[in-house]
Amino acid sequence: MELIKDILYNTDKILKDFYNWAYKLWSSFNLPFFILDIVFYLLITLAVAAFLVFNALFIIYYDRKVAAKFQVRYGPNRVGYKGILQTVADTIKLLIKEDINADKVDKIVFFLAPFLVFIPSFLVFLVIPFGKGLIPADLNIGILYVLAITGLSVLGILSAGWASNNKYSLIGGMRSAAQIISYEIPMVLVILSVLLLSGSLKMGDIINAQSSISKWFIFVQPIGFILFLIAGNAEINRAPFDLPEAESELVSGFITEYSAMKFAFFFLAEYTNLFLTSAIATTLFLGGWQGPFLPPFVWFIIKTYLVITLLMWFRWTFPRIRVDHLMEFSWKYLTPIAFVNLIATAILVKFI
Amino acid sequence: MNKFPIEIEKGLTTDEYILNMGPQHPSTHGVLRVVLKMDGEVVKDAIPDVGYIHTGLEKMFENRKYEQIIPYTDRTDYLSAVNNNLAYCLAVEKLLGIEVPERAKIMRVILCELNRIMSHLLWYSAYGLDMGALTPIIYAFREREEVIDLVESMTGGRLTHNALRIGGFKYDLPKDFIYKLKNFISHFNDRIDEYEALLINNVIFVNRTKDIGVLKKEIAISYGVTGPSLRGSDISYDLRKIEPYSGYEKFEFDVCTGKNGDTLDRCKVRMNEMRQSIRILEQAIDHLKDGDIMAKVPKVIKPAPGEIYCAVEGPRGETGVYIVSDGSEKPYRIKLRSPSFSNLSVLKEIVVGYKIADLVAIMGSLDLVIPEIDR
Amino acid sequence: MIKYIKNIITGIISLCEGLSVTLKHVFRKPITLQYPEQKPDLQLRYRGRLVMPVDPEKNDIRCTACMICAKVCPNHSILEIEKVIEDGKPKPKAKKYIYNLGTCMFCNLCVEACPFAAIIMSDEYALANEDKEKLILELVSEKYNLTGKKLNWWKSKFKDETINKEKVQK
Repeated sequence: MELIKDILYNTDKILKDFYNWAYKLWSSFNLPFFILDIVFYLLITLAVAAFLVFNALFIIYYDRKVAAKFQVRYGPNRVGYKGILQTVADTIKLLIKEDINADKVDKIVFFLAPFLVFIPSFLVFLVIPFGKGLIPADLNIGILYVLAITGLSVLGILSAGWASNNKYSLIGGMRSAAQIISYEIPMVLVILSVLLLSGSLKMGDIINAQSSISKWFIFVQPIGFILFLIAGNAEINRAPFDLPEAESELVSGFITEYSAMKFAFFFLAEYTNLFLTSAIATTLFLGGWQGPFLPPFVWFIIKTYLVITLLMWFRWTFPRIRVDHLMEFSWKYLTPIAFVNLIATAILVKFI
Repeated sequence: MNKFPIEIEKGLTTDEYILNMGPQHPSTHGVLRVVLKMDGEVVKDAIPDVGYIHTGLEKMFENRKYEQIIPYTDRTDYLSAVNNNLAYCLAVEKLLGIEVPERAKIMRVILCELNRIMSHLLWYSAYGLDMGALTPIIYAFREREEVIDLVESMTGGRLTHNALRIGGFKYDLPKDFIYKLKNFISHFNDRIDEYEALLINNVIFVNRTKDIGVLKKEIAISYGVTGPSLRGSDISYDLRKIEPYSGYEKFEFDVCTGKNGDTLDRCKVRMNEMRQSIRILEQAIDHLKDGDIMAKVPKVIKPAPGEIYCAVEGPRGETGVYIVSDGSEKPYRIKLRSPSFSNLSVLKEIVVGYKIADLVAIMGSLDLVIPEIDR
Repeated sequence: MIKYIKNIITGIISLCEGLSVTLKHVFRKPITLQYPEQKPDLQLRYRGRLVMPVDPEKNDIRCTACMICAKVCPNHSILEIEKVIEDGKPKPKAKKYIYNLGTCMFCNLCVEACPFAAIIMSDEYALANEDKEKLILELVSEKYNLTGKKLNWWKSKFKDETINKEKVQK
């Protein structure tokens, strides 16, 4: 009982004890330590991968249920209890589907693109603080790492658009490149103003700076929070910023030619990115895993899903923005406001 | 055979390319193919290519008796079947010189206006999808379902009602029809407000439609554009007011017009037209008196040789029927004037220079029904 | 500058209006019909496929094989009607009534034309079939039994007509 409580509430201590015990055990065998390190990292990777897949499965189900709520219908409710196994069934269907490769595609790039999209979102999990001590690696450049890695996913989308050898795909890929790059700037500016408050790039320090509810950065940075949500939503290409795959204009954008497993990878990446954006928003503005009574991990999940729900609400309400308005919105509205926000924060930090 | 109807200029290499939009594209609403000459995302030229679902209806009519043609007219503009029925029936009745009883006239008005609401609701929901908003379709279909149920309880059909007969109606309104209609009217105006808050007044939507696809008055008239697309360009042309038919002269309603003729105006005209339809329905309930529903029609319909053109104001514009009779049981020739065809032909004039996203918005705002174009 | 801020504020207000509409709908009851379990409540005049019901009073069909329905059908869906032949003479009663569901467009003209109310559009709506041949139906031997309000409606129809006929004869 005591142990379970410790695992839930003082995960960092338990993990440290476990490491020490394992190292002691290992040293009695007289083997080099790097093997043990590799084993640990593999275990962590496996855990993250498992979490990612199951989480994506659940988010898809959750998205469909939330959409159904907003649209006065039931959503999936046939497979399993209340349709909880619907996404599992869908995934199995996608896996056993024929993998169609169009004749004139650029074979290698076409094959690599889904992984190029997926791998960056997997890598970002390295610095996501799930709970007290539950962070794969608390890098001291944490948030910078996130920004650097998420910027990579544009490569995959662009190459998917190019390799498909389809005009709709190409337009989608180009749109996405323009969109992701121009929304990076307001996002970075917003994150900068948070960093000014926290004084560190490290995820653990950012969370520690928000040790009580009154210190949560959302109350200091309400505009920043909204800007971050908008820019983050645009970064992950979800409605109302889903221009790269705009269904009514570009059929399906850069994923038009993809099917089966490769399509599943794009889907997985999209929903993982949704989770990541919300997780980072939670860490930066909502105090991360901190909260009373419940274990830190649960708090983290609750807060993240709240943000996800908010993004879904936007998705199911708004029409799609046009491509030039998107740029205009970023450069004429988001970036100046983010700048003003940053300067105001700087003054606040300096003089108060 | 030339694969594309447009040719790219040769000589200096340009970055223009041809994009085939359709026949299978989510936002051409059916099997319409639009061949686009594009420069990046900007449309340089657009040529609609029609005929993918040509059914040969007009030829078929020549082999059918007059009363047998009515169900086929449902299938041209299937979103407002009664309006097509009405255009055809009015034409035949004029040829025969039949005066339809008063009650049947009012019943026809009720069905026509319900059809107009049905059609506009479908336009609204499909337009929401075109604009990337995924929720309006569900809300609008909820109300559309009520209207369909109403019309179904009267005619038995959900889309292809086959409601009218030459000379009036076969069946009278069901007993609880008026009660249900009142029930529907009582809450529908609130729902229109909801639709406007959800989509039409949304700042993203307004930005996407304002000053986009401006249809100038002169161009609209010279292409024969009718219906809400024409009225959006500030031309108060509505056959219900100008040449009242089937007792429309008794009803009080406004002809909704826009100001600039841009996409937003066309949308607003449609939303307001639904409100006016509700007004007409309210008055129609008061006008509805007991009486005959069928005029005296000869058993064998054999109009005297002659020709006639009759048009009604459908949800998309002037739905006309031109009949040439040679005195036999079957018409010599029937020509349908479909509003969507004229409305589509103006596409090239208003779409050039805008982006592909605007093309979708503009095409949606013209409210095209493809079977009606191809017939 | 003022215009810029005004733009932002009006934009946010309009977005919030939209959000409030969807939020309102979260608390409304779903409108979906759970189809295979919940069947829709069909309208009385619903036009399903054509049937030739058995008149429960006479325990027989009402068709006299007068061919009016076949003549009035716009796309010749009523393919063949044969009369009963007794003692070498055709009797006014249908022996065979072949109806092509595949070409029928459910226009109700045959039902309206029938002077004896022998045929009616039923409530059946799931009519798809893998085989085209199975869409050609023989209605007399089917001995279809109407039920529910449709039966009452159908009965009232031919009762009205018999009354009308009597009136005309008088």
